[in-house]
Amino acid sequence: MNVRFDVLLVGWLMLLVGTFLCVPLGVALFIGDSAVPYLVAIGVAAGAGFVLVRSFATEDRRIRPADGFLVVGGTWLVVSVLGAIPYVTAGVLGLEDAFFESVSGFTTTGSTVIADVTMVPRALLLWRAMTQWLGGMGIILFTIAILPLLGIGGMQLFKAEVPGPVADKVQPRLASTARSLWAIYVGLTALEWLALKLAGLGGFEALCHAFTTLATGGFSTRNTSIGEIGLPAVEWIITLFMLLAGINFVLHFKIITGRWREVWRDAELRYFLGVAALATVVVTVVLHRPGQALLETLRVASFGVVSILTTTGYVSVDFELWPQLALLVLLILMVLGGMSGSTGGGIKSLRALLSFRSLRVMMQRLIHPHAVRPVKFGGVVVNEAVLSGIWAFLTAYALLALFGAAVVAACGYDLLTSLSSALTAIGNVGPGLGDVGAYDNFAHFPAAVKLVLAFLMLFGRLEIFTLLALFMPSFWRR
Amino acid sequence: MRAIVVGGGLVGSTLAGKLAADGHDVVVVERNRLLLTDLSDRLDVKTLAGNGATVPVLLEAGIEECELLFATTDSDEANMVVALVGSALFHVPRVVARLRDSGHQESFRALAAEGGGQRLAINPEQAAVERILSLLPVPGAVDVVPFLDGRLLVAGFNIPAKSDFDGLLLSHLRLLFPATPMLVVAIRRKGRWIVPHGEDEIRADDLVYFALDPEHVDGVLALLGRSRPAGRNVMIAGATRIGVELAETLEGRGVPVTLVDERRAACEEAAARLDRTLVIHGLPTDRDLLEEEGIAAVYGFVACTEDHEVNVVSALLANRLGAGQTFAVLDNPAFVDLVGELGIDAIISPRLLSVSLALQFVRRGRVRAVAALLDDVVEVMEIEAAALSRLASGRLAEIGLPKGVLVAAVQHENRIAVPGGGDRIYPGDRVLLITTSGDAGRLDGFLGG
Repeated sequence: MNVRFDVLLVGWLMLLVGTFLCVPLGVALFIGDSAVPYLVAIGVAAGAGFVLVRSFATEDRRIRPADGFLVVGGTWLVVSVLGAIPYVTAGVLGLEDAFFESVSGFTTTGSTVIADVTMVPRALLLWRAMTQWLGGMGIILFTIAILPLLGIGGMQLFKAEVPGPVADKVQPRLASTARSLWAIYVGLTALEWLALKLAGLGGFEALCHAFTTLATGGFSTRNTSIGEIGLPAVEWIITLFMLLAGINFVLHFKIITGRWREVWRDAELRYFLGVAALATVVVTVVLHRPGQALLETLRVASFGVVSILTTTGYVSVDFELWPQLALLVLLILMVLGGMSGSTGGGIKSLRALLSFRSLRVMMQRLIHPHAVRPVKFGGVVVNEAVLSGIWAFLTAYALLALFGAAVVAACGYDLLTSLSSALTAIGNVGPGLGDVGAYDNFAHFPAAVKLVLAFLMLFGRLEIFTLLALFMPSFWRR
Repeated sequence: MRAIVVGGGLVGSTLAGKLAADGHDVVVVERNRLLLTDLSDRLDVKTLAGNGATVPVLLEAGIEECELLFATTDSDEANMVVALVGSALFHVPRVVARLRDSGHQESFRALAAEGGGQRLAINPEQAAVERILSLLPVPGAVDVVPFLDGRLLVAGFNIPAKSDFDGLLLSHLRLLFPATPMLVVAIRRKGRWIVPHGEDEIRADDLVYFALDPEHVDGVLALLGRSRPAGRNVMIAGATRIGVELAETLEGRGVPVTLVDERRAACEEAAARLDRTLVIHGLPTDRDLLEEEGIAAVYGFVACTEDHEVNVVSALLANRLGAGQTFAVLDNPAFVDLVGELGIDAIISPRLLSVSLALQFVRRGRVRAVAALLDDVVEVMEIEAAALSRLASGRLAEIGLPKGVLVAAVQHENRIAVPGGGDRIYPGDRVLLITTSGDAGRLDGFLGG
């Protein structure tokens, strides 16, 4: 492990966060709010980053897989802490609440501990949305895109941060890959901002929501989320962009470069859209009442389904009033999540799809013991190592979620609240059910629960193994 | 006509023999001198030792006045070079290359086309797959060739001793079985071929070729004392080129396929390429395994491993275990007759098939499709009657068809019929003619005149 260089990289990333904090600072100055909260945060980020960069300067820039885990895991922890500072210095939240809110932001979860967002200064609201936007496509990926210092070793970092079992390059060079992905991300964000503005939303709110939609984050500038805006057009636009954000960005790249056919044949995309369509139909049927306009039921159902499936976590109605079957559908969607290579969370469509397929193959092996039957995806045989990685991931995911639920339950909460808050945290969704439902927030949890949930969010965003590796004793003994 | 055959293996030597019998002056070029001495002893051909892919050797073989060039070595690359030198450098009018790889075939077509003339790439495995695919719908047939866009089959059956056909006069066929219109187009009896007339009769142990509508296959089967197997499954032994390609085509048609091979790596490769086929790792001669995978209920069993003796054994085993019909890939011509008597329904020889294809290419004049049946003695031609053709000049009995030529079917305005002496052919009709290669010259004269 090249610890010197790893710390240097983390230092650089702290400087980067300091740079990003200049945006809310500028906004605060522009609208005449207090600039002090952001100046303090910038001071801490720049100061600490500067010290690290100066004292850990090194010529040895080799990065091995272990370094990838250390840099990515370390960066996300440090960045979350830095991102929490403005909440504290602005006097909005206490220490653990600020950390929870910041982690919930960067991991694009969208669970909030702020009871009344209308009391939060606008510059801070923008920072809150920005944390999600930066975390969505990945802050490391951003670094790879703009800073050449990572060189060849960047692939280890890329693999450790990109969601999904396999990391795909869309360009021969990693830096151009990162730039292409970020360009698509920025482009889609701008498009949604424009659409929302045209639909009647104010420029500031449109920007905040565009940031948190594309990141599948879910922070809103309204207390009861999107429903409060009350514009059907806005809901349709957001549904569309949530769906786009839940699709693998490599596919977006292929669409832009005219490789439509490959996109249409993509089995994961078909599966993802199939799940979304099926769930929408089920929820629509369950929700529909005679005398109601079908289009309205469809809007409400598709918004809820897409919001939870892509792990965005926006809310257009209080879905806790829905029939139990619809709630169960939402709970399942919460686990399934978006496509690999998207900004969505959950276990990812590809893992769900491949585990189904390998289950089917296993059943066939029972009937035909001599059968040679590989698991295939897109006509290509899936490596056994990838498959066992997926099973290990699913096991770890379930165990972590159960652990989280146990902690919440130990603090006296009911089963539904415990289970759904753990699932929503590790899946980076946002709202849960029960005491953390559509119109509730997470402020009432004790500090221990908030800390555990915050770590579940980080585990979920970094796909468990990246962070879990740091907790293995053998990792540090090498 | 001067013909050069490069490669003196089974394909090259068989082809050379048939070409010589057809009256061509044949030169065989082969590197292996041992093969050559044997060849010049058996056949009336000139032999030349050397690398046929080189210009000096080809010049010595007389490529400058050569009109037919065949590249039949075992190496695709060598055949490619021979064929390209022949087409591009010497502008040989007709060139045939045996190419297994479809990628090579594509480059061959693209490159050889530049020299002008007729070019043909033959893929023995592909030919074998097509043969098996045409045999599968006609259980019990040893040979099936589709004509008139598949609306008419010419199918050969061995006549069993106690069948309705034994001792039957051909002229009675239509009267006795009006529900099953069929025409006997050729009979092979004790190694001799007959293009039959109404007075000929069918005997047990004959190999009889019928022209029939695909819908009436089951009727003919019933008369032969056979029935269509119940299952739909096809089991293939051997994940070879033939096996995998066959499985791919069948699964594309929705047929459930089981593919067995003893080589783990071949199984994995096949499983990667195939989607719905059940790939089984095991010996195709393992009785328990075959039974476990439901051999008793399969519609067809195809043995196509690299080891042709294994193919015979596993096909016999499958036949014993109750497979609906069995096929074995086998190249050794000496075995063909022997095996047919043991209960394997049909033998598929990729090499002999490529010889047939090459011969058809040579013999083809203005005809639309030619298939040489089994020994390449009987030929079936599909032609279109031209406006001023003698075919369309009057009633069939009056137009003076040469001896040994039979009109098997006429497609007139989308209707297919077996014509009698009183019927006539109209310009634009598609006509199926049967003849032996000995009489083919007379037929050509008739059609040309």
